[in-house]
Amino acid sequence: MRQHPLTAILARLGSFLLVMVVLSLMIFTLARVVPGDPARMALGPAATPEQVQALRQQMGLDQPVAVQYLDYIGKALHGDLGISLVSQRPVTTDLAQTVPATVELVLVSVVFMFLVAIPLGVVTAHYRDHTLDHVGRILSLTGVTIPSFLFAITLQLLAARFPGGWPIIGRLEHGLGWQGGPTGFLLLDGLLAARFDVVGSALQHIALPAFALSMAGIGQITRITRSSMIENQRKDHVLTLQSFGVPERVIIFRYLLKLSSIAPLTIMGLEFASLIGNAFVIEMIFAWGGFASYGLNAILQKDLNAVTAVVLVAGLFFIVANLIVDVLISIIDPRMRRKEAL
Amino acid sequence: MADIKMLDPADRGLSAGYMMWYRFSRNPAAVIGTLILLSVVILAVFAPWLTPYPKHVGTIVDFKARHLPPDASHWFGTDKAGRDIFSRTVFGLRVSLLLVLGVLGISVPVGTVLGLIAGYFGGWTERLISGLTNVMLAMPPLVMALAVSNLLEPTLMNAMIAITLLWWTWHARLIYSVSKFIASEDYIEAARLAGAGPLHILFREILPNCVAVISVKTTLDAAFVILFGATLSFLGFGVKPPTPDLGSMVADGRQFMPGFWWEVLCPGAAVLYVTLGFNLLGDGLRDMFDVEG
Amino acid sequence: MGDTLLSVENLSVDFTSYGRTRQVLRDISFSVAAGERVALIGETGSGKSVTAKAIIGTLPRNATVRSGSIRVQDKDVLTLPRGEREALKGTAFSLIMQDPLSSFNPVFRIGTHLDDVMRFADRRNGISTSRSERRSRIAAVLRRVQLADAERVMNAYPFELSGGMRQRVLIGLALLHQPKLLIADEPGTALDVTTQDEILNLINTLVREENMALLMITHNLGVVRKVSDRVVVMHHGDIVETGPCHDILSQPTQDYTKALLDAVPALYGPRVTDMPQSDRGPIINIKNLNKIYGRRNGHHAVRDVNLTLREGEIFGLAGESGSGKTTVARMIMGLLRPTSGDLMIDAPAPAKGRRLTQIVYQNPGTSLNPKRTVRQTLTLPLKSIGMQGDAREARLVELMGLVRLPQSYLGKYPHELSGGQKQRVAIARALAAEPKILILDEPTAALDVSVQKTVIELLVQLREELGLTYLMISHDLSLMRNFCSRIAIMLRGEIVEEGATPDVFAAPTHPYTRALIAAIPVVSDVEEREKPVVTEEERMRFLVKSTD
Repeated sequence: MRQHPLTAILARLGSFLLVMVVLSLMIFTLARVVPGDPARMALGPAATPEQVQALRQQMGLDQPVAVQYLDYIGKALHGDLGISLVSQRPVTTDLAQTVPATVELVLVSVVFMFLVAIPLGVVTAHYRDHTLDHVGRILSLTGVTIPSFLFAITLQLLAARFPGGWPIIGRLEHGLGWQGGPTGFLLLDGLLAARFDVVGSALQHIALPAFALSMAGIGQITRITRSSMIENQRKDHVLTLQSFGVPERVIIFRYLLKLSSIAPLTIMGLEFASLIGNAFVIEMIFAWGGFASYGLNAILQKDLNAVTAVVLVAGLFFIVANLIVDVLISIIDPRMRRKEAL
Repeated sequence: MADIKMLDPADRGLSAGYMMWYRFSRNPAAVIGTLILLSVVILAVFAPWLTPYPKHVGTIVDFKARHLPPDASHWFGTDKAGRDIFSRTVFGLRVSLLLVLGVLGISVPVGTVLGLIAGYFGGWTERLISGLTNVMLAMPPLVMALAVSNLLEPTLMNAMIAITLLWWTWHARLIYSVSKFIASEDYIEAARLAGAGPLHILFREILPNCVAVISVKTTLDAAFVILFGATLSFLGFGVKPPTPDLGSMVADGRQFMPGFWWEVLCPGAAVLYVTLGFNLLGDGLRDMFDVEG
Repeated sequence: MGDTLLSVENLSVDFTSYGRTRQVLRDISFSVAAGERVALIGETGSGKSVTAKAIIGTLPRNATVRSGSIRVQDKDVLTLPRGEREALKGTAFSLIMQDPLSSFNPVFRIGTHLDDVMRFADRRNGISTSRSERRSRIAAVLRRVQLADAERVMNAYPFELSGGMRQRVLIGLALLHQPKLLIADEPGTALDVTTQDEILNLINTLVREENMALLMITHNLGVVRKVSDRVVVMHHGDIVETGPCHDILSQPTQDYTKALLDAVPALYGPRVTDMPQSDRGPIINIKNLNKIYGRRNGHHAVRDVNLTLREGEIFGLAGESGSGKTTVARMIMGLLRPTSGDLMIDAPAPAKGRRLTQIVYQNPGTSLNPKRTVRQTLTLPLKSIGMQGDAREARLVELMGLVRLPQSYLGKYPHELSGGQKQRVAIARALAAEPKILILDEPTAALDVSVQKTVIELLVQLREELGLTYLMISHDLSLMRNFCSRIAIMLRGEIVEEGATPDVFAAPTHPYTRALIAAIPVVSDVEEREKPVVTEEERMRFLVKSTD
């Protein structure tokens, strides 16, 4: 029962859309049925009941939840996510300022993750049960088991001892006179403006948080790559190539690596939400000022519109990441290009 | 090529128990993991008798002993109120283990039953479970837990509820895929043809074949729950002070960085110790049962 | 016979698992001369595959060579430095892989595999070649193995080819560098009998035309007769007997070989047994039965099938994979709903918890729950019919007796039993609640031929003792010749021939039946002579699958 590849992609998109709808419904309902009056919170204890009532009306909080939801979705589709109660600015404006910082951090982490984990997984699989394997396994085990906050703080502790100092908070050195660029990605904007001092400083700043954020993923992807390599090594097709004298390195780096990269990619997609979640901790520790810091603050302040938007954006991150993973896997695996939709 | 060790008819005489024990005892990771967990459980259970300053779990303040570095009388040093960090860390283990018991005690049985049902019956149960887990996957668990426990009230109980709400879906998803595979085996159809009812098939035919996967997954999950709980309490969503809790101890100590590093590193290392134990054991079990976790 | 290409001398190999060491090869010696075709035959655990792996150098990690040598071109491959040993691969000897389904990396094109093998072999031989040059050489080899559209095959991914085509590519792979010796590990075993026959013919042709030697590893004596000049019989790690193929098959000297030959069901000649015809009335009536999977443009799996099964008979439904025979059986079982047509079982309705039909599955490894003891497995159907206490216990004992298993086995788990014992348990379970009709779904396909014989004998006795009706689905026509009283042949969802088994085999009317019978590898000249004649045109009509 084969399907046209386009149908498969559309079906996948449809299921993602459904996920977004359910996600928004859940968070929207949750944010509105739980105790705690957001209008009261926003105005503070000094406000009169009349003022609170007026704000409630203005926010539509006196309407049934279903009406509020439809209203919200209608506006959201036009790019209006409401006003943040805390910053008193449109949530979209806040997001536009904070999202690029997080995306930059996450992207650098993911690149770093794969650069370290895939070779490590391949090497440990090849030197299975040798010293190198044990070292690699301890490393990946540490990645999986260490609390990200502990690792981040340890990195800060070590950086403080770095001769000449190493920045441990923020995204950029003060006093560079940087006015911001079109994309909000410091590395990209710096390059576009040929401001290599900015790029250098941004790189210095992003190194530690990106490393801290990638640690859990490094552990996991190393393990998956290793076990996938080992599992595939036992397959008949390896025997075929061995029997005809194709060199071991070709079998490993050409045949096995491609086949064994499917599992880590899939895991990466599934675990992307955890990565975003970890960003909340990392951004807080490194005072990163990204969207996760914004989200954490919004949750603490019970800033309804902001919380809802943060959850939706996090969901969107997940979906975009998984679409990319899907495309990558279908490039790698010809069987996926023919397979029916999930 | 399948694992030759499993297929060899000459191994037929060996009992399943012997084969599992053989693999387990030759797996240093599993043995070390077991020892770590044993020490953790003993410390946590007998904390009042094993710690030097059991009273320091309360609101005691001893300004003379503030911020003492680790030495013979205070192995992990003291905190801002002069309390013994070692004693507080050991009591903190109790909170972590309680969290594990609470979360997994609910989400594992619930997830298992729902996973079994969805895997065996298919149809709308299957669509419901896979739909739900798809949504849950898209939601950063930490964000969800923060939102829930904050919108309610930041307590351990609420944190536990929040984590549990998320966790069962992961478990259900795994059991679902395993039981769906098992449900297509000939022996399930044979049992149906022999007149077995759905309860018998779910719990007598399918469940025993999931035990290996469940135990590996549960062990590894225990590590994640501890990490997760520590992270929540690090962010300020944990147990109410002065009850010692590893995550919030790290958060407290962070204010005094980098000078009083032990206030961060010692409770942090305790978290690492426990999660390491669970992970090593989980890996060992995986080898022992010869399953993919 | 010429130079010795391969000589295995006093080879002993141990396997270590769970701290125990077992000898899997005991001091075996044999050789293959240039241009000679040698078959290494044995059942499960005989050590034939281990021998092959030792020669190729792909023994598993837990294996150790204890003593002996394997000489290829007068070099001991066991002690040869890695590089020199690699240099022998492809030229001195080449391997034809066994399983065409998993022998290629699924994410690489067929052509990539072939090109890499050729490129590195060329490099070892000190030749540098261009990609296009190699491509045309590969295309030539593919045409040698009768894959006419070489370009398409090279561009295809493994899953895009049929099993027969992949097997041909595997043979082509072995031919790339004109090896002097071909080692074939059960080629075509996973394929349909007609396709397997084509593959064996191809190997024979190639070996003859290229003047290669052949070492064929197989469990099938019919294959031995077809492709070998000399036979090495293995059993439990020992060589039992060696000799010219014709002698071994016609006058074996060793008891084991005799027993093995005796266990192979005969297709024609004096060793054939005719199952008596049943004189009782019909028990299953099938009229115009159809099954279409899927709604629009569905797959028409069963098309207008008409069948009548008489009570007490053994009816055989034969066909290759995808012929629809299993679908018919599942509809009779009530496990599938027919799309149209009538299906009547002419027997009184069974009491609560009982069924008229029961089934014995093909693979006893998957039809018994690994986590349940024999007792638990057998108790289940007894519980369903409300049997309790002493009566149930007595019935358990009775059932074990029925399938000739000791009572003490009630406490065992499936992994403690052999394949044949497991299948006996499965039969006992099927019989526990006294069905009238037993569906046998290739009940011996997963078993060794000697075990098959005992299981079949048990089934014959049980039918007589209990007055059962059997419906056997199988692709193994020689087995059905001896076991079934009547037989129907299915092709692409339709029944193309039906009748009393002796009649169908004596004078098959449909060309497909003739092609099927002709393709069966047999062990004696008598059988070979009695086979129906198939014209080339007829053969090609039913062989489209293996080459397209």
